[in-house]
Amino acid sequence: MAVEANFPLLILLILLISAFMMPVIKNIRTVKLFSLSAMLLSLVLSVFTFKHVSRAGTFVYKVGHFAAPWGIELKIGYLESIMSIMFTFIAALIIWASFYSIEHEVKEKNIGLYYTLCGLLIASLLGIVYSNDIFNCFVFIEISSIAASGIVVVKDNKENIKAALKYLILSSLGSGLVLMGIAFLYSVTGNLNMDYIHQELVNVKDLYHNTLIISLGLFTVGLGVKSAMFPVHIWLPDAHTYAPSSSSAMLSALVLKAYIILFIKIVFRLYGIDIVNSMPVLDIVLVTGAAGMIYGSIMAILQKDLKRMIAYSSVAQIGYIFFGMGLGNFLGFVAAVFHIISHALTKSALFLIAGNIIHQTHSKEIGSLKGIGIEMPVTMGVFIAGALSMVGIPLFIGFNSKWNFALAIIDSNKILFIAVLVASSVLNAVYYLPIIINGFFGEENIKDKVFRSKEKPVQVLLPELILAFAIVYFGISSKGIIDLITKSIAGL
Amino acid sequence: MERLITNYYETASIILFGIGFMTLLIHNNLIKKIIGMNIMDTSIFLFFIAKGYISGKEAPIIKGAYKGVEGYINPVPTALMLTGIVVAVSVTAFALALTIKVYDKYGTIELNEILEKGGD
Repeated sequence: MAVEANFPLLILLILLISAFMMPVIKNIRTVKLFSLSAMLLSLVLSVFTFKHVSRAGTFVYKVGHFAAPWGIELKIGYLESIMSIMFTFIAALIIWASFYSIEHEVKEKNIGLYYTLCGLLIASLLGIVYSNDIFNCFVFIEISSIAASGIVVVKDNKENIKAALKYLILSSLGSGLVLMGIAFLYSVTGNLNMDYIHQELVNVKDLYHNTLIISLGLFTVGLGVKSAMFPVHIWLPDAHTYAPSSSSAMLSALVLKAYIILFIKIVFRLYGIDIVNSMPVLDIVLVTGAAGMIYGSIMAILQKDLKRMIAYSSVAQIGYIFFGMGLGNFLGFVAAVFHIISHALTKSALFLIAGNIIHQTHSKEIGSLKGIGIEMPVTMGVFIAGALSMVGIPLFIGFNSKWNFALAIIDSNKILFIAVLVASSVLNAVYYLPIIINGFFGEENIKDKVFRSKEKPVQVLLPELILAFAIVYFGISSKGIIDLITKSIAGL
Repeated sequence: MERLITNYYETASIILFGIGFMTLLIHNNLIKKIIGMNIMDTSIFLFFIAKGYISGKEAPIIKGAYKGVEGYINPVPTALMLTGIVVAVSVTAFALALTIKVYDKYGTIELNEILEKGGD
């Protein structure tokens, strides 16, 4: 066995062990650097894992050397290794950006604990992505929901506690539903390993048709609650608005995505797309996704608080992802996975920028951001890249994902849904563009504003600039990554 | 009806699941919500363990002579539910800790009053 095959488990161990070492380190600067270096090490190991996968194909790692139906397996293919690189890359940038902002938002004695929670959260999300054992995934889901509530409540304000409690109750409801789904599947197949469950399901699918519909429904609603699918997204705006901005970026860019990846694995690996397409579940996902795209955008237009607007925009973007999966064809899933990456890059940049703007101007209101482009040109430059990508302007990554969604819609013969896609893009423009226009143009807006007066130093903005560069780079050359995603979905 | 009575473990656990789910959703009191969450989790444990039970067999602990695989119930669901219980306990503890914090800051644990006071 090649040495790279050990890397996925090693990444989990590095992140978990380093996370639990943070509280004993007294010096805050050491904690920060330690946390960042653990994340960068995981990124490097993820890249090596990806190299290994592209050389030797999908591989299975047996944890503790117990063979498959009894032991737990980590199964790493293209999808898992790409997602692993994305998660660690974005988490490293968010942690780097949080170096300069966390003191303003979290009490000094809690900063060590904050980085503990970050490490724990990323480790559990990567666990969900890697694991091939459905019960193991459930345990990682629970760890991630506790850690994610933790990074919301760490700010210790009135609203944070309310938002975190709401999030915790709804996400434990979601994981209860997932566990019930596992119980139904275990009772008809007697297995917990996804590949083995699939083998059994192929034999018994006609016998237990209703049981399978119920369990897939439970998985959909359970994971839907956790990834903020439209009718059950109600925890998201509060949690994302009140959390520290680096937490908001992590929640929106990474936490929501891990559950969607688990859902994709459940659809392709556990049930198999043929069995799923014989049930009406994906059609319901399509309708809720389309409704979420419109509802999230309309709610975002109505918001006055900058972070709350971006949070509702997340509801709409998650709607896009579920919409792509709901189309039920191969291209739809490719577009959904590409949008996972594009939304993760864009939304983490937008939340980090929102944090900077709120800190420098001491105002959360969108209305008070007049002339901000003159005062903070570099910050707003990154904001423009993110906003144009969300709207779907060519040259930015958001355009490529919308293009792929359109191709998937045409391929699935549900042409009417193009209207939903276009309407949602127009609505996105309605709430992002006014901020840019008020920031740069208008006689009244830019009167008395001093050029670069509120700008932060460039090294503080470097993580955001890297994200903006990635948004543009993948916007111009997305073919390589689309090919990889096509290969990864085909290999599931 | 007869199927419900034969599978009385499953029936009971689904009824408990419904009770827990509704308690979680409709009650305003946070403690009652957490109780509902616990009832829901416990019903899933009952469901799972009932799946592993084989009538007439012993618990999978070897006392004296080993009776062979046929002599014992399926130990996997029981082991899984031990993990499930640990997870449920930690989530409950965290939720209760947050409830104490909520009471400190808002002076009440009724959700409708909290939403009125903290409304934005």
